[in-house]
Amino acid sequence: MSTRKPSFQNPKPCEHLSDFKLKHGLNGFNLIEKYFKTSPNGRLSLNRDESKIPRCHFCSGYQGRLYFCLICSKISCSDSNHALLHTQSENGHAIAMDLERSELYCCVCSDQAYDSDFDRFVICKQIMDLPKSESSKDSIRERPMKKKRLVYGVVGSDLKYSKRLISAKDGRLKSCLPWGLRGLNNLGNTCFMNSVLQALLHTPPFMNYFLSDRHNHMTCRRRSAQGLCLPCDIDVIFSAVFSGERTPYSPAQFLYSWWQHAANLASYEQQDAHEFFVSMLDRIHEREGKATFPHKDDTDCLCIAHRVFSGLLRSDVTCTACGFTSSTYDPCVDISLDLDTSTWCSMDGANMSFKQNESTSISTLLGCLELFTRPERLGSDQKLYCQNCKERQDSLKQMSFKRLPLVLCFHIKRFEHSPIRKMSRKIDRHLQFPFTLDMAPYLSASIVRKRFGNRMFTLDNDYSDAPTEYEIFAVVTHSGMLESGHYVTYVRLKNQWYKCDDAWITEVDEHVVRASQCYLMYYVQKVLVQRASEDLSCLPMSPRHSNVLPIAGCC
Amino acid sequence: MKRRRFRVRHSVNRPPTPDAADDQQKQPSLHEIINIKMIESGEKERLMELLKERLIDCGWKDEMQNLCRAFIKKEGRNNVTLDELIRAITPKGRASVPDSVKAELLQRIQTFLVSAAL
Repeated sequence: MSTRKPSFQNPKPCEHLSDFKLKHGLNGFNLIEKYFKTSPNGRLSLNRDESKIPRCHFCSGYQGRLYFCLICSKISCSDSNHALLHTQSENGHAIAMDLERSELYCCVCSDQAYDSDFDRFVICKQIMDLPKSESSKDSIRERPMKKKRLVYGVVGSDLKYSKRLISAKDGRLKSCLPWGLRGLNNLGNTCFMNSVLQALLHTPPFMNYFLSDRHNHMTCRRRSAQGLCLPCDIDVIFSAVFSGERTPYSPAQFLYSWWQHAANLASYEQQDAHEFFVSMLDRIHEREGKATFPHKDDTDCLCIAHRVFSGLLRSDVTCTACGFTSSTYDPCVDISLDLDTSTWCSMDGANMSFKQNESTSISTLLGCLELFTRPERLGSDQKLYCQNCKERQDSLKQMSFKRLPLVLCFHIKRFEHSPIRKMSRKIDRHLQFPFTLDMAPYLSASIVRKRFGNRMFTLDNDYSDAPTEYEIFAVVTHSGMLESGHYVTYVRLKNQWYKCDDAWITEVDEHVVRASQCYLMYYVQKVLVQRASEDLSCLPMSPRHSNVLPIAGCC
Repeated sequence: MKRRRFRVRHSVNRPPTPDAADDQQKQPSLHEIINIKMIESGEKERLMELLKERLIDCGWKDEMQNLCRAFIKKEGRNNVTLDELIRAITPKGRASVPDSVKAELLQRIQTFLVSAAL
């Protein structure tokens, strides 16, 4: 059980539950064990008598919630306090169990009760009942702790380097803008590149890596036969942008280099920023990852691109006929989300009709994440092979986050392709996004736990103590149409938002960012930001001794 | 509860007064019969799953969760019992089920009844 969040505490047992546990221990649970039945959807319910439907002892009702007394096995229903009646007529019979859900209920308190022993008992029963393959135990096995520490440890040492770096360059600041902000010239429809570069230039772990000279373009030995090394070109940009110079920089060398890598995209046509971002990470991995860590796959790769952005997604496919679930893990460097165009039913008193009201409901990032992790019923044309049934069955698919990366990149799928009409269109729908994000409810541990009902037990101990709170630091926005549009990036430095529109950098208010049409959103783990601000808070960002001159192209 | 007593003769050997439970079991309502048939055939479980899916899709479940949160926030986290919450939310929940969902389920039940040849 994880107790890392101070706001959430496991509820304390009421006196009746404590009494019951003292007197009867686990006997009550063991007696009913043989009557449990797990349905394919994962629900554990109690079924005492196969021939009769369960009825309330007092009113013979069979509707609503039915509670099964753990001492005398009498059933009471939730109507008119029949459960309370039971405990009044028979002293000491306080604890009952919800027949349908297998959850504990205290009849005296009229409230749900939680007990970790009971939860463990129930979940074990459920897991044993559900069909499994021989190798399924792997999915619940703990990963070695070493890996976890390695990822976090690296960042800590980076910060020490950057601290020294900042104090050295402080004297060269020439304007009122913070260090590290510099416009990028548009070299011909290259706003897609500039926007992603601006976001990466301010991605904390990425920034620290290059600024602490971990990849020096002058001493690099990893160049390919043609003398190409994308990380070197990135290092050049970092040096240029963080040099203190304020005139807009032209990343021509980088563009040329990238064209060499991706010959098919070498043109002045507009490109997609997300595609560019992914291809950039790929190129960095090629240079760094494959060369130095040839035997590791994507999940363990230690190249800077993967160390910063790589997370692990879990995909569970459940057979609706027998309940067998198979899980697969895939690494990812970003998460592509569909917009949640939820259709709300109107809640006015008089109006009870169902409306397809897309205009009144708002899409939110959390809504998109809910949609992403919601169990999806695959159509009957997509029947998947079930190892247990040995045939194709209707299945449910559910995604969740097994391991979160240091930096999360959300990609909003704003381009809709219609195969019927053979055209694509852009979805301009506004998406509301938070500045702080807690990914805990979308972790595999949380998602899987929900399948077993209201429980306190945590199955997945891997990464359950890993940080889940994130802070936004960059948003790449798109305006315009599918064929011709413009990308602009908003970056947040020390709680101030800056608009990076190619060569022009301006200070903007929060609400401008919130109102923008987000396309790519970058969130960094809160712990990294906190640590950074602790280290650097003492250093002045705007020098008091030099002449403050606003320079054309910046303010 | 009204019962016709035209032909009952008072007699010494009058049978004992039946209690409530027996009475209900003697005359199961149509509602009960249908319910039992649906449970036995497994149709009820299938319909419950379908209903859950539809209510999630149309946003009803999210709306209910918001109502629960608002209620708990108002009353205080430690002052709300499960029963009170259910009592507060149920009427609103029942009232806001979209008509299309109701229609679909009624259609399914009708189909079931026809096939069960009641």
